[in-house]
This record gives sequence, structure tokens and C-alpha cells, in this order.
Amino acid sequence: MSAPLATLPGRLRAANLAQTVVCLCLLGLVVGALILLFGRTGERIAVLMSVNVAAVVALGVFCGNTGIVSFGHGAFMLLGAYTSGILTMSASLQRSALPNLPGFLAGHELSLLTVTPIVALAGLGLAAASGSAIARLAGASATIATLGLLIILHSLAVGARDITRGSQTFYGITRITDVLPILAVALAFIVIARLYRESRWGLMARAVRDDAAAAEALGINPRRTRFIAWCLSGTMAALAGALYGHMLGAYSPASFYLSLVFAQVAMLIVGGMTSVSGAVTGVITVSLLQDGVRRLEGGITVLGVELPAVFGLTTVSLGIAILLIIWLRPAGIIGGQELGPSPDARLLAGLGARTPAAPAPQTRKTAVLQAEGLSKSFAGVHAVSEAGLSAPTGTITGLIGPNGAGKSTLVNLLTRAYDADRGSAAFGGADLLTTRRDGIAGLGVARTFQNLRLFDDLTVYENVLVSAIAAGHGGQAAAGIALRELAAFELGEVASQRAGALPYGARKRLEIARAVAQDPGIILLDEPAAGMNPAETEDLADRLIRVVEERGTGMLLIDHDLRFVNRLSTRIVVMNRGAVIAEGSPDAIRADARVIEAYVGRGRTAAQAHETGQSRDPNRNPEPFAGEEAVP
Amino acid sequence: MKLKHCLLAATSTVALVGAASTPALAEDSYIIGVMSAQSGYLAPYDGPAYAGFQFCIDEINAAGGLNGTLPVELIVEDTRSDIAVGVQVVQEMLDQGAQFIVSSADADPTIAAAQITLPDGVPTMTFAGTAPVLTQVGEHVFGSYPADNQQGAVLATYARDQGFEKVWLMKSPDSAYTLGGPEYFGTAFESLGGEVLGTSLYSLNQPDFSAIVTTIAAADPAPDVIVTWAWEPDFPAFIRALRGAGVDTQVMGGDVLDTPTVRGLGEVVDGVVHTSGGFPDEGSQYADFIARFEAATGTTPDNNYYVNGCDIAYMIETAVEAAGSTDPRAVAAAMAEIENGDGIMSDYTFKGTDRMPLRDVVVARITGGGEKEFILRAAANPDILPDP
Repeated sequence: MSAPLATLPGRLRAANLAQTVVCLCLLGLVVGALILLFGRTGERIAVLMSVNVAAVVALGVFCGNTGIVSFGHGAFMLLGAYTSGILTMSASLQRSALPNLPGFLAGHELSLLTVTPIVALAGLGLAAASGSAIARLAGASATIATLGLLIILHSLAVGARDITRGSQTFYGITRITDVLPILAVALAFIVIARLYRESRWGLMARAVRDDAAAAEALGINPRRTRFIAWCLSGTMAALAGALYGHMLGAYSPASFYLSLVFAQVAMLIVGGMTSVSGAVTGVITVSLLQDGVRRLEGGITVLGVELPAVFGLTTVSLGIAILLIIWLRPAGIIGGQELGPSPDARLLAGLGARTPAAPAPQTRKTAVLQAEGLSKSFAGVHAVSEAGLSAPTGTITGLIGPNGAGKSTLVNLLTRAYDADRGSAAFGGADLLTTRRDGIAGLGVARTFQNLRLFDDLTVYENVLVSAIAAGHGGQAAAGIALRELAAFELGEVASQRAGALPYGARKRLEIARAVAQDPGIILLDEPAAGMNPAETEDLADRLIRVVEERGTGMLLIDHDLRFVNRLSTRIVVMNRGAVIAEGSPDAIRADARVIEAYVGRGRTAAQAHETGQSRDPNRNPEPFAGEEAVP
Repeated sequence: MKLKHCLLAATSTVALVGAASTPALAEDSYIIGVMSAQSGYLAPYDGPAYAGFQFCIDEINAAGGLNGTLPVELIVEDTRSDIAVGVQVVQEMLDQGAQFIVSSADADPTIAAAQITLPDGVPTMTFAGTAPVLTQVGEHVFGSYPADNQQGAVLATYARDQGFEKVWLMKSPDSAYTLGGPEYFGTAFESLGGEVLGTSLYSLNQPDFSAIVTTIAAADPAPDVIVTWAWEPDFPAFIRALRGAGVDTQVMGGDVLDTPTVRGLGEVVDGVVHTSGGFPDEGSQYADFIARFEAATGTTPDNNYYVNGCDIAYMIETAVEAAGSTDPRAVAAAMAEIENGDGIMSDYTFKGTDRMPLRDVVVARITGGGEKEFILRAAANPDILPDP
């Protein structure tokens, strides 16, 4: 018997804490074991490993939560290393090594602790300056932009010879050789990365990563979430760079260039990009593998047999390890889930205070979704032409029409997924067409998508939670709302599963639960019953009716299952060829000749079509209303 | 799953066996730690240098060790041209008792290593780093190859002797070598009454040099000579573009042009003049080294890094003998006092320098047939030697 749904938020917090502790212990134990087993040699390995953990965890804060691979973090590391190097350098060495250093940078001789906030600010400054551009992009173009940042910073560092000694070695940096302070930073970074990942901003960034369009429809601003991830990650990377610089003691801009960045991205991918424990595991695995092989390649004696020196094994073994991991575990060694107990673990079953489900929301005030004269053409094809409709709250308005009639395009116009060529649309008096795409949800208009758009790598609970958070609710309140909707749509049993792993029917219900969690005035449901069997469709209809009756929410319901639409709708709007051809009560629509013609064809009647079975268009229902059969 | 478990087990075993295997070092031996990049950008230099070094250490050990009495043990670690790995391995070598460190052939890893060896004064010598700045870390750091400023000064003297008055410099700020060499040349050239007509900047691995070639071709007055310390693949791309545009101005470059690849470029490199660390004249020690190396290994040393690696082995032997002890500071002090040391590539002097050795620089010319012609051998004139 699984633990009650009400304790899920509490168990989740406990699981997050436990997972963080597991991650901290993993690094601590490996470092401890290295030192215990191999003494100073082990400590040397642990120092580099811990610096890399700090850098790769910083990288993972952006890459893992946004899904964008960054090659630009070398730029932050470079900035951090040079900032810290210059400000901590002894004044006498500075005078000889950097004779033309600008006065405001010279002679500070700061301690490592004092320089830390300055390095963090420098990193934040660079992140904020570059983030406004990079956060606008996604996918490969964002990756290329980060590479551009690296190239720019590298070139600037090479060019600023008075400050950096150009491409010459920058030396005389205070060295940190003790493992403890470096380990402390690495552990602190793990905690920060975990806190961010589970924070509202981390959750929203992961939602955008999984599906930016769906996140926007919930009112999440993808740019802002990416920008915040970039700023935090850049700040941390600058600090990691300072640490790296103080470990090296001497470096040049080339030390922070492509080879370093590629190595760190490889560690992140090996471990698993989307989790903090993946980043840590990746660094540990690659470090141990490389260090182990490095010792073998110089030639050793094993059981009396002398093995020859084979240099280059380290690089080859890393290449093979990456290939094997991509082959065997495409998501990395750890994958998307954090290492440690899940909220469903028996260990945590007794933990977690009960979080009360939020009470049903107040019945909404009456408002109307009103569209007039909406038009949209794609390359000369009129997808929607002068379409208008009105859908009040508290009722369900059906929107039907043959395939290609323009129904989904109309929904996309109302939710700003497309820009309308002409026309107007408002909900409750607020103009939709002048609102940003991520502002539509804030006006009380929610939607689902024709092709399911869930946040596949988030859990079921997180899918609904992020929706409530995006609607402006605080942590506890959002958790209560999520529990309420999970219960309402019978998703409690699978609440801590990945959404991507759900069966189809449950995925459909989840998408609606996610929309409902925003307590919208109206929900635009784009084929919610598509692919469901009759029992599932019936069940869904009951749930939708309950939402409308209990909360006064309005619905604009698109579906090809006309029995389903007829059962739910008070009014039905019919579209064909981009235009609204009829609207009225289900009975009136059933009798409307234009509607029958749209479905069956000119000059025929339903009966004739039925007799001859000659519907030329397989997408058109030959018998739209007579038997009220579902159209496949 | 079985496969995964096997892989996991194999990986762990490799990591653990590797981590556990620390070579056992004899107490009555001289331990030299060698950073040798066997992959990455330093491999073309560290590889041959290490081969030559190892070859001559083997010769020394076959004769009973340093000065016939003290066997040498090497700790060799691949740094993969990664400065962080370099730092790690130098620390490990010191942990294992290294009394001398031979570092990679570049300023970054050498300076990083030298900062680690500074507290104990463990002498640290670069395989072939030529940036004169690298010895500024401390009195225990040594170069082994003629520094960029020496090469620049000798080449500038030769250029002025040929009657060249106006030079065009092409340099890349991306590395100390490609930036420093032409600048040292320019400084020495101006000291000798020449004029730097113009400078072009390029990026390492720049695919297209047509803009630079157009600028040079349009220069008025035209330069007598073009000087660059560009290496491969930049130099081949540049010289092809230059000759392709019909510019037949004399081109001169650094010792990095002393490779079979550059000589193999054919007509476009006919007449290109470059510096070099040495030249295997018939009957010279250098020619003898090549013959010995070839006989023992089957490989023909085709650049100076082999013989320079060998010279480092004998420099260490000379310093240890002069010090009369293996104490790191004593060995470093003795090394710094060597004057007219007997080298195979060329003789060397540390005394009176900032520990970048004064060594003869060879000027050579490439022929269209892919051969290398000896032009001259000279030491840099101290009066015009540019400051590091």
C-alpha cells in the first residue's frame, strides 16, 4: 500500500534532503577514500576532482535545468580566475609581472575570502550582460551563442595584455593545495545546485526545458527562467574558475578555452546532464578513470609481468567511456533522477506531515471569451477567416468542424501562439491579442494541446505543481492545489512517476489537471478525448462537467467525438474552411444544413451518404449526428 | 545488464589498480620527474624531446649512471597538454622524491610546474619552451633551447646583413611564441637600423590569409622581408596564399619551420629562411647522435627536439657533477654557473644569463627540393638582444 497522497510534498522534501545528503556523502566518501588509501597522491587527485565538481555542478545548473549545452562557462571561469588572481597577487610581484596594470586594479593584495564576493559579482555581471541575449535562444542556437561568448572573452583576455599578460603565462597566483577548502566549496555548490533545482525557478526552468510552448501557456516566461539559471550558473562558474586558478597557480587564457570546456561538458554528459548527482558522478567517474589509466600508461609491473609504456591510453579510454555510456545509458550514468531514495521509498513512507489539499476554488465571476473577425493566413492559405465566437464561463462551448477547419488555429490565435492578421479577442474585457504569449494564462485563459504537451521529465506532481506556481501561488499553497487536482483527476497513485512514463489516458488527464490547477476562467481544450476508449471518454466527460459545475470555469471544447461534444456542450460553434458557419444549441446544430453539408458534402443528405457509404473524405464523418459515433 | 556490470567492474579495476600502482624507487638513485605531453598541442614537441632524453638517460645509465656512479630513475607522466594535469603530476613527482623536473615544451606548464618546485628549489627545466619569460619564476627554473629573443636577434642580424631594410611582421597574439618571436625580431631589426613597415595579426588555425596577403601586397613602399613565427597549419596556408598572389618577397620564420612538413610544401617554400637550434654537419656530435639514435631505435630524428632532449640529460649530469651533491638547490646553483657547457646540438652557457641558455642559433634555408641548407651559426649579439 502506497503512502497517502497528502504526505507527498513532505516525503518529497525528505527525499530531496536525502538525495542531497547522498550526493554530498558520495563526494565526501570518494575524497576520504582517496586520501586514506593513497595518502598525498590521493589528496592531489581529490583536489583536482573537487575543483572539477565545483565547475561541472555550476555548469549543470544551467545545462541541466534548461537543457541547453553551454560551451561558454570557460568565459566565466576565465573571468573568475583572472579577477581573483590580480586582486590577491602580492604587490611586488604585480609590479614586475604586470607593470602596466591599471591603477584601480593594482596593489590590493586581498585575501581569498575577501575576493570571493568580488569574483561572484564579476561573474554575475558578465552573466547578466550576456544572459539577456543568450536567454532569448534555445537549442543549438543558444549553444552556439555560448561558444561565441567564450571566444569573445578569450580574445579580450588575449588582447588585454596590460591586465592579463595576453597569451603569456599569468603566474604568481596564491596556490590552494589543501583539499579541505576546495572540498567545502564543491559541497556548498552541490547544496546550492540542489536548492535551485527544487526551487520555483528551477522547476519552471525544467518545465521550459521539457516544453517551452506548454510552459508559456501556463504563464512561465522562458527567457526569464533561462536568464536566472544562466546568472546563477555563471556566478558559480566564476567562483569555480577562481578556485581552478588558485589550484594551478599559473595559467593563460588558453587554460580556459575549448579543451577545458569540452572536458567539463564530457564529464557532465557521462554522469547525466539533468541531475546534480549526475554532474558529481560524472566528475568522479572520469577523474578516477583518467587517473587510473594515467598510472598504467607509464608502464607498471603487475604480478611480476612488466607492462610497456603506452602513452595516449588516457585520452583513448575517456573516448571509449563516453561512447559506451552514450550507447548503454544515453541519459548518462545517473540519468534524469537524482541519486538516493525517491519520495515513494519505504524509508520515507512514515515521514512527511500531511499537506492539506487546497479547498475547491470560489466560483468564478461570469466572464466571456469573445472573438471577432479573427483571420490568419499561412503563405496565402486562409487558415482562419473572419472567425468569431463567444464562450462564457460556467458552461462548455463546443467547437467542431472537419479536419482542417481551422479550430486549432483559432485556439492558437486566442492564446497568442500565432499572431492574428486581423480581428479582436478578449476575455473578461482584457484584450488577448495585445498580451504576450506568457501573459495569457494570467488573464484567466488556460489551454491544452492537440498533441499532448507535458513536461515529460518532471513528475506528475511537479507538472501540476509548476502550473500552480506559475499561477502565482506560494510553495505550500501550490502544493495544496497540486494535491487537489491530482485527486480530482485520479492521478494520486502515479504522482511521483515521470510524466513521460504514464499511459496515454493518464497523460491526457494530467494535461487537463495541469490546466485546471491554474484555476482559469476558461480552458481551451484541444481534442482532450482523442485516442481515448469510450470508458475513458465517459470518465473524462464526468470530470469536466464537475469542474464546470463546482468552479464555474468555462470551457471551449474542440473534439471530433461528437457524442462527447454534444453531451457536454451548451452551445456549439461549427467551423469549416476557416470560417464559422453555424452556432447554436446542439439540437439546432444537428439540424443545420450547412453543418451537414460541411461534414457530408454538397447535394447529399446524411441518409444518402449512409446508404451509399461514399464519403470521399475519410476524415469527414459520414454520419455526423445520426448515430453520434466517435470519429477515429 | 551483465555487460554493464562487466564494464563497471573493468573500469573500477583499472581505476583502482592504476591509483594503487606507484613505482618503487630506489634510494641510491637520482630521480628525475618528466612531464611529457603525449597528446594535445604539445605532443609534437614533448614526444621527440622525451624520446631523445630517454635515449641519453639510457646511455648514461648504461655507463653506470650520472658520472658513472649515480643511476637515474625516471618518473614519466603524460600530461595530455592539460595544465591542470601538469600541476597534479608535478606534485606527485615531488611526493615521490623527484630531485629534478623536466617540464613540457611550453611556458604555461613550465611556469605552473616551477611555482610548485619553488619552495624546495627543485631545479626545473623545460623541454623546449622558448619564451624568455619562463625563467622569471625563480632561480631554479631553466630553459634549454635558444630563447625566442636570441633567435629573433640572430635572424634580424642576418636579415640586415642581406641588406634588407623594411620588414613586415605577421604575428598572432594567441600564443607567446607566435607573438613574441616577430616582436623580438622587430626590436632587434630596428636596433640595427631597419624599419618595421607594418604588422598583421592572425589567429591560430586561421583558414584564410588572403586579407593579410592583400594588405602586404598593397604596402607602399613594399617590404623587403616578411617575418612570422607562424606554425602549422597557419604557415603553409599563409605561404601558399602569399605566393599564389604573386608576392615573391623573402619570407623568414622561427625554428618551428624546421619540420619535414614545411620542407615538403615544394616550390612555395623555396628560399624561405628560418632559425633552428642546430644543424647536423657531417662529422659533428649532432650527426653522430642521429646515427646512434637511428641504430638503436630505427627512428630518424627529423627535428631538433630529439637532440635537445638528449642535451638536457647531459646538462643534468654536468650540473650534478659540478654541484658535487644531489641537493636540489646546489644542483640548480651549479647549473646556473655552467659556462661553455658541451652540448650535442650546440654548446650552452647559463652563467651571466637569466637561465635561458646562450646557445648558437642556426639560420637555414629551405630549397624547392625539400632540403635544408645551412647558412650560418651564430650567437645573439648581447647589444641588440631584446629584453624578455
